[in-house]
Amino acid sequence: MTNGDLHSPQSANSRQLGTETFLSVIVSTRDSTATLPDVLRAIRKSDLSRSAYELIVVDDASTDGSAAIAARYADTVVRLAGRPSGPGYSRNRGVELARGAVIAFVDGDVVVRPDTLSRMLTLLRKRPEIDAVSASHDVQSGAPNFVSQYWNLLLSFGEQRHSGCCAQFAPGCGVVRRAAFLSAGMYDEWRFDTASMESVELGERLLGGGGGVLLSSELKVTHLKAWDLKSVSREVWHRSRVLARSLGYLRMSAAAPSEVVFTLSRTLVPAVALLGTLMLAAAFVPSPHSAAKGGLALAVLFLANLPVHRFYTRARGLGFAIVSAPLHILVQMVAAVALCTGWVLRDVFGDVSPDATVQAYSEVGLETWPPVPRRL
Amino acid sequence: MSRAGVDSVIFQELPSPSTAIPSHDALKSAAPNRAAIMPANVANERRDGPRRTPRKSLIVVLPENHVVSPDLVTERLSQGGSADDTDVILACAGQPTSIAALQRRVRDLQILLAPAGTTGEDLRELAMNQAPGDIITLMGGIPAWE
Repeated sequence: MTNGDLHSPQSANSRQLGTETFLSVIVSTRDSTATLPDVLRAIRKSDLSRSAYELIVVDDASTDGSAAIAARYADTVVRLAGRPSGPGYSRNRGVELARGAVIAFVDGDVVVRPDTLSRMLTLLRKRPEIDAVSASHDVQSGAPNFVSQYWNLLLSFGEQRHSGCCAQFAPGCGVVRRAAFLSAGMYDEWRFDTASMESVELGERLLGGGGGVLLSSELKVTHLKAWDLKSVSREVWHRSRVLARSLGYLRMSAAAPSEVVFTLSRTLVPAVALLGTLMLAAAFVPSPHSAAKGGLALAVLFLANLPVHRFYTRARGLGFAIVSAPLHILVQMVAAVALCTGWVLRDVFGDVSPDATVQAYSEVGLETWPPVPRRL
Repeated sequence: MSRAGVDSVIFQELPSPSTAIPSHDALKSAAPNRAAIMPANVANERRDGPRRTPRKSLIVVLPENHVVSPDLVTERLSQGGSADDTDVILACAGQPTSIAALQRRVRDLQILLAPAGTTGEDLRELAMNQAPGDIITLMGGIPAWE
């Protein structure tokens, strides 16, 4: 299917949505048999009438039989062969088949509430100036282990503080007008071949197109993915590196302040400044003990992160906040190192691009299935 | 498939009325040979190299006492582009009724038979495992009494 096919007269409809707007729900998934049944059942239990939406599942080269699970609930299943191409690429393939004037993206580990999709549609209907709406994390649910709780709360903290209009098109669950999505150029599948910042980047382009992107703190969804220390560190590393290398830290911090990388790194600058000042003052104190210096540094970081710790205390109690404090500092350090790495990579090697084969195939316009990643 | 009590399926192109529904025991014994009874063209095409266009499949799911209008199937086929390029699989639970018209309308209709009582969801999963397509559309029938 070509881009020309996508820009049909039906898709280029006006911004006013009728009461019978057809919705295309696209679930991109990879190796998620553990969560996919719950995710798809929740969509099917939506309070939308069954004739008001279609359910398209795009299986990104799973090896665990996710496609068969998807077939139990979906109207259409797309199987992408070969190596995984990333959620942005998968969602684009789903949109190419979608018939709805509004597209909903739901991740393969995100459970919507019965009224989530209908409320999102209502928001788009009532506010024609808005092009996209996304839901935020539900802090009361998700995987029960400590690291998952910490991570979901951290994401929720940014979403609560910076909800409203911004470039944060949350990948977990969001709806977008099809016409706006297409005119923005769809997801960037050239640079984002793994799950990272593709939705934030799309949100920025939607904003640039003149439409609004709304991150709602009232619409909540449950993220089922279980995180551990390694996966959280890898996620933070990846997001921070991509942000610094491909998107531009300062520009994105203004456009999408709720992004978790900014939650982690925003406090580092004043903390370092304050710590520097205190260390300078300590130079006039004869021989401060090294333990005192370390304690001072930790105290400064703790104070800089006080809003996060207070949020944790309110959500899970003082004990959880105390235990999560060292983890938070560790994750902040990962973000700081990754940001620096991203800046160095950007200056030395430039922006991310796919491997030479993909570039060559794209250059000659080779038609294959699955398609060669498309350049914006 | 054990969660639905479905142990196996038979996959064939044009069943004669006398062989349409094998016994449950026969289905059990057929299970290990599923690959052997899969149409050769399906097995061969799975081994094919890269293609220029996606291969499409349409799965029609008919739980017990459900029927489907041949017009609806052909309409869905025409929506997806060229009907000749789409594999059509009819997944039935129990004795399929009124499928002669569909067989006449759809060339190379493949029929997947499962024991009576197999749920629609299990039929979908079974058919999905047999479908060769990259883009698989699933549609259901309606109760026969409607």
